[in-house]
Amino acid sequence: MYGVRASIPVFFLTLTAFGGANCVFADAPRVTAVLSNSEAAVGQTVQLQIKVTGDRAAQAPENIVIDGLEINRTGTEQHFEMNNFNVSSSVIYNYTILPLKSGTFKIPPQTVRIRSSSLRTPELTLNVADSPGRSSSSRSNRNLQPGDADKLVFAELIVPKKIAFVGETVPVEIRLGFDPRAHPKLVDGPEITGQGFTAQKLQQSQENLETLNGRSYDVVTFKTAVAAARAGKFEIGPVKAKAQVSLPRTPSTSRSRSRSPFDLFNLDDPFSDPFFADPFGQSERREIDVESEPATFEVKPLAANAPPSFSGAVGNFTMTTDAEPKNVQAGDPITVTSTISGRGNFDRVNAPVFEDERGWHKYPPSAKFKQDDDVGISGAKTFETVISPNEKKQALPLLAFSYFDPLKEKYVTLRSDAIPISVQGGAPIPPNAVASQPAATAPATVGAKPSPKPQDILYQLTERPPRAQSFTPLFACPIFWIAQLIPLAALLGFAGWKIRQAKIDNREARRIGALHQESTDLLRRLRRGEVSPQEYFSDASRAVRVKTALAKNVDPNAVDAEMAAATFRLDESSRAQLRRLFERSDELRYSGRPNGTGTISPENRREVLELIENLRV
Amino acid sequence: MKQLIVALCCMMVCTFVVSPAFPQSDAEFAKANANYAAGHFQEAVNGYETLVRSGEWSANLFYNLGNAYFRVGDFGHAILNYERALALDRHHPEADANLRIVRDEARALEMQSSWPERYFQFGSLSQYSVVAAVAFWLGMFCVFRLIFGRRRSAAIIALSILSFSTFVIAAFAIYKLENGNNGRALAIVTGTGVEARFATADSANSVLALPPGSEIKILSTRGDWIYAALPNNLRGWLPAKSAELVRL
Repeated sequence: MYGVRASIPVFFLTLTAFGGANCVFADAPRVTAVLSNSEAAVGQTVQLQIKVTGDRAAQAPENIVIDGLEINRTGTEQHFEMNNFNVSSSVIYNYTILPLKSGTFKIPPQTVRIRSSSLRTPELTLNVADSPGRSSSSRSNRNLQPGDADKLVFAELIVPKKIAFVGETVPVEIRLGFDPRAHPKLVDGPEITGQGFTAQKLQQSQENLETLNGRSYDVVTFKTAVAAARAGKFEIGPVKAKAQVSLPRTPSTSRSRSRSPFDLFNLDDPFSDPFFADPFGQSERREIDVESEPATFEVKPLAANAPPSFSGAVGNFTMTTDAEPKNVQAGDPITVTSTISGRGNFDRVNAPVFEDERGWHKYPPSAKFKQDDDVGISGAKTFETVISPNEKKQALPLLAFSYFDPLKEKYVTLRSDAIPISVQGGAPIPPNAVASQPAATAPATVGAKPSPKPQDILYQLTERPPRAQSFTPLFACPIFWIAQLIPLAALLGFAGWKIRQAKIDNREARRIGALHQESTDLLRRLRRGEVSPQEYFSDASRAVRVKTALAKNVDPNAVDAEMAAATFRLDESSRAQLRRLFERSDELRYSGRPNGTGTISPENRREVLELIENLRV
Repeated sequence: MKQLIVALCCMMVCTFVVSPAFPQSDAEFAKANANYAAGHFQEAVNGYETLVRSGEWSANLFYNLGNAYFRVGDFGHAILNYERALALDRHHPEADANLRIVRDEARALEMQSSWPERYFQFGSLSQYSVVAAVAFWLGMFCVFRLIFGRRRSAAIIALSILSFSTFVIAAFAIYKLENGNNGRALAIVTGTGVEARFATADSANSVLALPPGSEIKILSTRGDWIYAALPNNLRGWLPAKSAELVRL
C-alpha cells in the first residue's frame, strides 16, 4: 500500500515532466490564410482569416490594399489547445473583404512578423461575380412540435454556384442554428444526402452568435466540397442532423404562466414557460431532427477533345518544376519535382506527364498534398518522379499538365520550362531523337555532333564443332552424378581398408598384452617359490618362451632354448644354463618325477630367477 | 594416398566426358551460310532455325542465326541468339562484339548483375561444378584420413578445411550464377512495342517500355502472362509470347 502511495507522486511528476517536455518542444511557428468563400458577388462580404500557430507574438498586417476589394481587419482571436499534453496556441486575425467590382482577384502573400523572423501566407484567389444572386441557399425550420421547435433550430445549405462542370469541386457551407436557451447538443452530425456527387469530409469551421429576425442563435458552420460525377441537374441535400434540446413540458391550458423575460413582445415563445425562470422545475430533453431544404444546381459536361495529359483535374492551377541533380552519368537517377498549386479537385490531379520519354527510364511518381483550406480544394500537390537517362542528354523532357478551367470553359495545358542537364557516358543522342525534341530544347542540341554511322556486325562463321553443345550445365547432367560414384567407391574402399587394418592391429595388441600379463604372473610365482619343482621348472621355461615370443613377435610354443638364447644373445654359460632349464622342465613334464633330489635348493632358485630376469634384448 | 590419387584421376576423366555426339547437318548449315552470303537473309534464318529445331546446337550456329536476324531487322531475335551463342561459349568474341553493336542499335535494356555474379563470372557453371566435386571428395578423403589415421596431421587438417571452403564457395557460385539475373531464367524481349504492366491486362498501367532485345528475368508464369524482374530493379507483367528464354 505504501508502495502504491509513493508511486502516485512519481506518476504525476512523470506526467508533468512529459507534458512539460512536450510544451518545450513545440512546433515551429507557421502561418496559413483561408477565405470563407472563394466565390462571391459584388457587395457580398467574405471573411479572410490569417492563422498563426505556435507563437502568439505575431504581427499581422493591419490593412491589405487590393484594387477592387475593401479589406478591413475586424478582430483577433486567441486559441489554446491541449492534446496529449501537447499545448499549442494560435492567433487568428480576421478580416472582412467587401468586393467592389467583379473579376478574379489575387490576394498576394502577406508578411507576418514573428519576433525576429517573418512568415508569408499563401496567395489566395477570390472570384467575384456581377450578380449577387449566384449562390443558392436553402433554409428550413423544422417543427418539433407545432408552433414550438420551428423557432428553436434551423439548418441551412449554401451552395455558392448554380452551374458547375463534371468533376469541378464546389464548396458547400452548412449552417446549423440553435436557440441557446434550449441548451442544444448535436447528437448526429449533419449529413448531406443525395446521389450523383461525391462530398469531402465535413469540417466544422466556426461557431458564433447571430441575430436572425430579432432572435439570437448559436450558429455552427460546417464546410465541405462536392463534385458531380455526371452531367445533368442535381439536387444536393437535404442536410440532416439530430440534436438534443431542453424543452418545457406541454403547458396545461388551465395553468397560468408568467411571461419569459426573453418574450418581451408576448410572442409565442416556448421559453415563456416558467421552466426557464426555474431551471430546476419540470422540463425534458428531446431529440429533434434538423433538416434543410435541398439545393439544386446544374452540371455541365466537360468539353470534348481533352488533351492527352488530362487526368480529370478541374479548377485553376499553376505548375513549377525542378530537377536534382543536373550533372549525372548515364543510368543515374534524377529526381524531378513538380508542384501543382491552385484550387480545384486535387484528388484527380495526377503527376504531370513527360512529353517525350525516349531515352529515359521513368519510375512511378510519389505525391504529397498540402492543403491551404479546411476542405482540401485549395493547396499544392507535389510530385516527385525519378527518371534516369539511358544516353547522353542535354535537357530534361518537358512535363505537361492539363486541366479544365471552369471559368474559361476550356482545357489548359501547362508545360514546364526546359531544364538543362548534363549526362556523361552512354550512347550518343540519336538524330531522330534530337529532331523530335520540342522547340524549347532545340537550341541546346544544335551544337551536338551528328551521331556516327552505326557499326556493322561481324562476318559469318563456317566452322562447326564436332559435337553438339548443350545448354544444360554440367551439374544438371546425369553423367556428372554417375561419375561421383567413382570417388564415392574409392572413399568407401579406403574406409574399409582402414577399418580392417584397425581390427588386425587390435587383435595383435590384445595378444601382446596377454603375453605381458602371463610373463608378469609367471615371474611373481617364481619369486614366491611355493610351488613344486615340476611346476617351478615348467613356469620358468614358460617365462623364457613368453619373453622370447614378446621380443621376436612369435608364438611362445614355437620357442626352444636355442631360439631364446639367440634372441637374447646369451653367453655360453647362460646358454648352457638355459638349456638345462628347458631339459629339466621337459623331464619333469614328461617323466612325472625329477632325476635326483625332489626339492629345489634356494641357490638353484636364485640362479634360475636371475637368468630369467636378465633376459633382455 | 595412392588410391586417393587414382580415384581423383578417374573422377576427373569421367566428369569431363559429358557432351553427347550428334550427327551434323553440314550441308544444311553450308546452305544457310550461302543464302546469307547471297543476301537471302530470310532464307538463311529459315535454314538456321531448322538446324536449331533439330537440336544440333553450337555457338557458331546461334551466332550466324543472330547475324541473319540482324540483317532482316529483327533486333530482338538477333540479341537472343547472340546471347545463346555466349551461353554455349562464354568466350565467343564475334558474338560478344555483335551483341554490343545490336544492343546499341536497338537501345535494349540490360539487367544489372549483383556483385556476387560479377565476381563469379570469371568461371563457367561447368568449371565451378568440377571444382566443387573435386574439392568435396578431396575434403572427404582428408576427413577419413583424420578419422582412421593414428596421428592427426596438421597438414591434413588444413587441406580438409581448404577443400571444404573451396567446395562451399564453388557451390555458392553455382547457385548465384544459376539463379541470378543472367541465370537460367534470363529471357530476351523479342516482340516490338512491349510494355511491362502492373497487372495481367493490356489496359493496366505501364511499368516500363521494353525495346526489343531487352533482358528480363522470368519469375513466374500465369496463363499467357509472365511476371518478370525488369531492368532498373522493376517488376511487371508482360505477354508470354513477347519474350523467349535464352537457355533452350
